[in-house]
Amino acid sequence: MNAESVNAASVNAASVNDRALRAMRRTRQAHRLGNIEWFDAAYRAYLVGIFGGGSLLWISSSIQDETVGAASAADVAAHAPSILGLLVAFVLLAGLRGGAQGGPVALEAADVMHVMLAPVDRRRALLRPALQRVRGSIFTGATAGAIVGQLAGRRLPGTLLAWAGGGALFGASVAMLWAGAALLAHTLITRSSRVPRWTATAIGFAVVAWQSAAVYFSFRDGSLQILGPVDAFGSLGLWGWRQHATDLIATGVGLMAVIAGLLLLSRISLEALARRSALVAQLRFAVTMQDLRTVILLRRQLNQEHARRNPWLHVRRSTEPASSPVKPATKSKAANRSRALTRAVHRRGWHGLLRFPATRLVRLSALAVGFGVLQAAVIRGTTPAVLGSALVAFVIGLEVMEPLSQEVDQPDRTDSFPVDRGELLARHLLAPTMALLPFAVIAGVAATLAIGSVDAIAPAAIFALPNLLAGATGGVVSIVRDAPDPFSADKQQSFVPPEMAGFGATIRLLWPIVVSAFGCSMVFILRVAVDNGGPLVGAAIRGAVGSLLLAVVVGYWVKVRDRIRRKFKAFMAEGRTQALGAR
Amino acid sequence: MTSLRELALSTIQLSKDYGDRPAVLPLDLQIPFGEHVALVGHNGSGKTTLLRMVAGLLDPSGGSARIGGHLSGSTPARAALSWLSDTPTFYDDLSLREHLDYVARLHGVSDSKARADELLVRLQLENRGDEIPTTFSRGLRQKAAIAIALVRPFQVLLVDEPFVGLDEAGKQSLLELLDEAAADGRTLVVATHELAFVDRVQRLLALRDGELVYDGPPSATDVHQLVRAG
Repeated sequence: MNAESVNAASVNAASVNDRALRAMRRTRQAHRLGNIEWFDAAYRAYLVGIFGGGSLLWISSSIQDETVGAASAADVAAHAPSILGLLVAFVLLAGLRGGAQGGPVALEAADVMHVMLAPVDRRRALLRPALQRVRGSIFTGATAGAIVGQLAGRRLPGTLLAWAGGGALFGASVAMLWAGAALLAHTLITRSSRVPRWTATAIGFAVVAWQSAAVYFSFRDGSLQILGPVDAFGSLGLWGWRQHATDLIATGVGLMAVIAGLLLLSRISLEALARRSALVAQLRFAVTMQDLRTVILLRRQLNQEHARRNPWLHVRRSTEPASSPVKPATKSKAANRSRALTRAVHRRGWHGLLRFPATRLVRLSALAVGFGVLQAAVIRGTTPAVLGSALVAFVIGLEVMEPLSQEVDQPDRTDSFPVDRGELLARHLLAPTMALLPFAVIAGVAATLAIGSVDAIAPAAIFALPNLLAGATGGVVSIVRDAPDPFSADKQQSFVPPEMAGFGATIRLLWPIVVSAFGCSMVFILRVAVDNGGPLVGAAIRGAVGSLLLAVVVGYWVKVRDRIRRKFKAFMAEGRTQALGAR
Repeated sequence: MTSLRELALSTIQLSKDYGDRPAVLPLDLQIPFGEHVALVGHNGSGKTTLLRMVAGLLDPSGGSARIGGHLSGSTPARAALSWLSDTPTFYDDLSLREHLDYVARLHGVSDSKARADELLVRLQLENRGDEIPTTFSRGLRQKAAIAIALVRPFQVLLVDEPFVGLDEAGKQSLLELLDEAAADGRTLVVATHELAFVDRVQRLLALRDGELVYDGPPSATDVHQLVRAG
């Protein structure tokens, strides 16, 4: 054995291995196709088409927002390219960061171990999974673009068909930019190239800052105008209305980024592939199971987002006399016990919240800005924006309620505490609710700026926190609902016909978002006041009261959920016993 | 001085850290062709990290590793190196025989049936060849992974904790297979806590907190202490 035999082995293998890879992939594809229940797949596609497509068209057509006037249309034409460009800049930032952290390609763990460690041409071996990833992204982008486009077409000049088509082209181009940026960041920002990982984030933020400046100056009266780096993408977003041939540069840039990324595939890091392979498999399973909590946890792991070792601030130790939250006691001591439990849970909540990594804080801030802007859009007459704000608030809720999620994720430990689970979980809401305050301020400032009037400052100050809290309640519902339930009706559900089970699963998935949407819809109280010229502060107070009521109801539900289920279960069991006795 | 091409495995200032936590401190290592090496150390001493870097599965933080003079992860290095992980990984839609056939073909062996049959018999897997290995128990999965690592041609075999989960018969079969590979002139590097195995090697490497603390014949040191000294 020597170096020559190493070379000989390599040459010998190279002549056969690519054919072997292609042959085995064909065989495995045949296995997979053979395992598909085609009738079942067609039926599911039919259900998605009927319920998904039908619901979308119904909701879209039921929105009766008025077409904007000429002045507003001119405003849109002037500012939309830079504002949409800002959205694209954030997508680019996400792509660059995702790529630097190991995205976007994911292989099966076995492929990493057996194919990537074999003497095959890695670029060829990776080409198919990479193309599948790009294709999936383009499809998602185009679909989302078409949906948003046809919604925009109801208020702006242009036919719905043109807006749907233009939106699809915009979405596909942005998706190509995202995928290309991620591939390039992954393959160029490596240890061997001596380019540090933070370079990707720095480039992304530079583009965001530049584009933000373009947005800022587009609103200022003056001769100074800045051309944003991704204005062409933003302008492409208006193709449903007017078509500028130069906007196709954006599509070309996206395409070029993808091609360049694919050409550099052989530089992909095996360490990143190995790490992502297991996580992505779990992520797909979690998505299939509609397990949003697991999806969020896995996405954090994929992004290598870990809690800080040192908290931002240290929680001071309580100087009050220690009082056991569990010791049996008299009535007056019961109150002390409750306070001790509250303090313990509250303190644990802040321990977790103060370890949020900077990336999560930045993400939450960006989401808060989006929430404020979307709520302002509702006030200015764009009804569908309430759904967008509900989704954003829902995600904020899932993120901020991390201490509650951690408790729910550890059911064995939770059930080992000698306290009622509902009491414990309800107390976990306190610290995250307080932690929402800075993000509510950000959302309020963003909404005020988006409305562009000083009259909005006082209503925003009153309404922002309760409104964001109400929107975030959907996240609370999602987290607590997914807690292991000793009174579950799983056994009864197994006898439910598949159609009803599917319908039930859909309702189950959508219910928390519906709660968020209900919370966000309090903004319509302000919109009515604006439309009718009523007092804004009074409307803001009414909206805040409504929002707080929803938050209290959800908090109470968290507290008594187990008790209600226990009673319901006992009631049903008693009914069955009596029915059997009557026979 | 020995040229890199004359060495089965060599590292130059190879290191790995995870942020501010070093996993392997800069390491210079030279292992000639045909040498039989055991790598020992307590949990978290850096054995697996070192082997995974050499296999090309981890990006080093500094330095480089070479197989037969070729940078680890390059095509010739992958052709020469077989990696047996402590966490076996399989496709969930291929039988064990299909795995063996596939991996052998990826390494340029078009007809591996005879070798595959022999390995299945020696690892007591002859009745499991048509089953899906993802459904196997821990020990059977380990045996299947051993078969896959040995069915293909290689010059250097890197093995991480191969005895975990194996029954006595399995351990014996593995020891025999490793001895045969060594007798054929293959280079073996085996990370293990199995001290009985250490007596069979020519050279012992001991890591402690990512640092190489012993490099020499196993007879010249107290191996128990090296492993326990974490």
